[in-house]
Amino acid sequence: MSSTIIRGGVPSLRLPPSATASAAGPGEASDRAQATRHAARPAADHSWFALFALTRIGAVLAAVALLIADAATVGDLGLAAVASGWACATIVAYALRPALQGKLVAWVLDAAAVLALIAASGDWRSAVYLLALTALIFPATARSPSLALAFGVGFTAAYGALAAAAEGGLHWASTAGLETFVAHLLVPLLVVVALAYAAALMRRLRAEQARGNALAVEAERRRIGRELHDSAKQRVHAAGLVLSSLDPAPAVRQATDELECAVADMDASVADPGLPQQERTLSAQLTERVRQLDAVADATVTLEGAAPELPPAVTSDVYRIAAEALTNAARHARASRIETVVAVDDGDLCLTVRDDGRGLPPTVRPGTQGLRSMRARARALGADLRIVGGRGGAGTVVELRVPR
Amino acid sequence: MIRVALLDDHPALRAGLTTVLQAEPGLVPVGAAGDAAAFWPMLHRTRPDLVLLDYHVPGDSTLALCHELKSRPTAPAVVMYSAYADASLGVLARLAGADGVVHKGARAPELFETLRRIHAGEQLLPPLSPSAIAEVAGEVDADDRPLIGLLLHGTPTREIAEVLHQDPKTVRRRIDGLLRDLAREPVLPTA
Repeated sequence: MSSTIIRGGVPSLRLPPSATASAAGPGEASDRAQATRHAARPAADHSWFALFALTRIGAVLAAVALLIADAATVGDLGLAAVASGWACATIVAYALRPALQGKLVAWVLDAAAVLALIAASGDWRSAVYLLALTALIFPATARSPSLALAFGVGFTAAYGALAAAAEGGLHWASTAGLETFVAHLLVPLLVVVALAYAAALMRRLRAEQARGNALAVEAERRRIGRELHDSAKQRVHAAGLVLSSLDPAPAVRQATDELECAVADMDASVADPGLPQQERTLSAQLTERVRQLDAVADATVTLEGAAPELPPAVTSDVYRIAAEALTNAARHARASRIETVVAVDDGDLCLTVRDDGRGLPPTVRPGTQGLRSMRARARALGADLRIVGGRGGAGTVVELRVPR
Repeated sequence: MIRVALLDDHPALRAGLTTVLQAEPGLVPVGAAGDAAAFWPMLHRTRPDLVLLDYHVPGDSTLALCHELKSRPTAPAVVMYSAYADASLGVLARLAGADGVVHKGARAPELFETLRRIHAGEQLLPPLSPSAIAEVAGEVDADDRPLIGLLLHGTPTREIAEVLHQDPKTVRRRIDGLLRDLAREPVLPTA
C-alpha cells in the first residue's frame, strides 16, 4: 500500500510516469522530447542534404569549367562527363534513399569514387578536388563526432597516399609546392571538424527545443488544472450544493448526478493530460491501468476477459468506475490479490473488481468522494452498480453491469 | 439555532452556501469572507458558533488560521471544507485542531447533518492511518516531529510549551510555521 500525500494533502498512489498528474511531469516530458527528437531527425538530415546537393553541384560545375577552360583534351572531357555523372547519381541516390546518408558503406563508396576521379585526373592538385571534399558532408554530420573524425583522418590519409603515388610525385623541392600539398591535406580535416561541431550543436539545440516545448506543455497543463480547480470546479460544487438542497425530484437527482460526474471528469482529465481516452478501447485502458497498479501496489493485480466495442462516452465512464474501484482496492484494502474481470453476459457488459482485502469500513468516512462518484457515474450510464464489502478477509466486490 | 460563518475564496461557493444555509431551519449564515484579511473582522463582528473553512484559500494557510482560531478561549467549532479528500487531510485537520472535514461535493442534507453533529460536540474527521501520519511526519523537520505527535494527541499549546520547556509564544510560532509548511499548494488529484 503506497498511499501517500504529495504536498498538502491530495491522494496519490505512486504510479509510474504518465499515470498520475503529479508524477507525469519529468517522465512524460522526456517521452515527448524523445518523440520530438525522432521527428526532428529527418529535418536535420534534410538541411545537410541541401548543403551536400548545393556544394556538389557547385563543385562539379567548377571542375567542368576548369577542365574545359585549360586546353581541354579528350581525357579531360571524359573526366568532366564522369564527374558530372557521379555527382548527379549520388545526389539522386541520397535523395531517394535518405537512409543511405547515415550508411558507412555509402560514404566509403562515394569517397573511393571521388578519390578515383582525382587519381584519373593525374594530379593531386586536381580540378575535382572540391568535388572530393563534398564526400565528407554526410560522414561529418550524420553520426557521432568521433566517427566523423575517424572518417576524416582516413580520407586525408588516402588522399595523401594517392598524392604520393601520383605520376610526378610530390614537389618537395619547392616551398610553395609543399605548402600547397599541406593545405590540400589539411582542408578535409578542417571540413570534417567544422561540420561535426555544427551538427553536434544542432542536435543539442533541437533536443533543448523539444525539452522546452515539453516543459511549456506541462506548465500549461498545470495552469489549466489550477484554473479548473480554483474556479470551474468551485462553481460546479456550488451549483451541486444548491441543487441538492431542493426536493429530490427525479430531474433534480439526475442533474446532481451529472454535476458530480462533471467534477470527477475535471479531476480525471487534469490527471490524464492529453491522453485521448475516448479514442482508446476500454480493454486497452484497463490493461494499462492494471499493469501500472500491479507494478506499484503490494497486491497482484490481474485482468481477465476483453470488452466489446463501446461508444466513447460509455467507455470513459466505465473505465473511470473501474479505475476508481482498482485504486481503492490498491490503496485501502490491504489486499494480496485484486482481480478484474470483464465479460459480456446476455449482451450486457459486466465488469467485476474483486479483492481479498479487509473489506469496506463499517461507516463511510466523511469526505469520501470516490464511491459517490462511482455511483453517480453508474446512474448516469443507466448501469447497475453493486459494491459489496465483506469483513475479516472476505474482501470487497465491485460489480458493474452496463445494459446493451 | 446554529450561527455559521464562512471563509471561501470563491464567490459562487459563498453565495451557494449562504443560500442553502438560509433555507435550512436551525442554521443561519451570519457572514462570509473571501480571504483571511476579511475573515477576522467578520469573526469579531458576528461571533459565530461554527466556522466553515475552505481548505485551500490561495495565499493563506487555512491550517494555521484554523489553529489560531481554535487556540482562542471562546473558539467556535471549525469545519474544513475541502475539494480534496484523502487520508492525510485527516492528519492535517487534527494538527490544526479542526472538529470536522466535509467534502465540497457533499450534498446539502449531508452538509447540514455534519454541521449539526459537530455543533453538538461530535468530531467528524477522516480516520487516522499510520501511513498518513508517517507521510506527514516525513514532510517536516525532525525537530518538529514531537510537535506533530503532541498536536495529534490534542495537547493544548500551553502544555506543549511545558513539555518542550519552551515559551508558549515560541511554541505558537513553531506550530504556525509548521502548519504553513504543510499547507502548500495541493497537487492535482489523480484519476
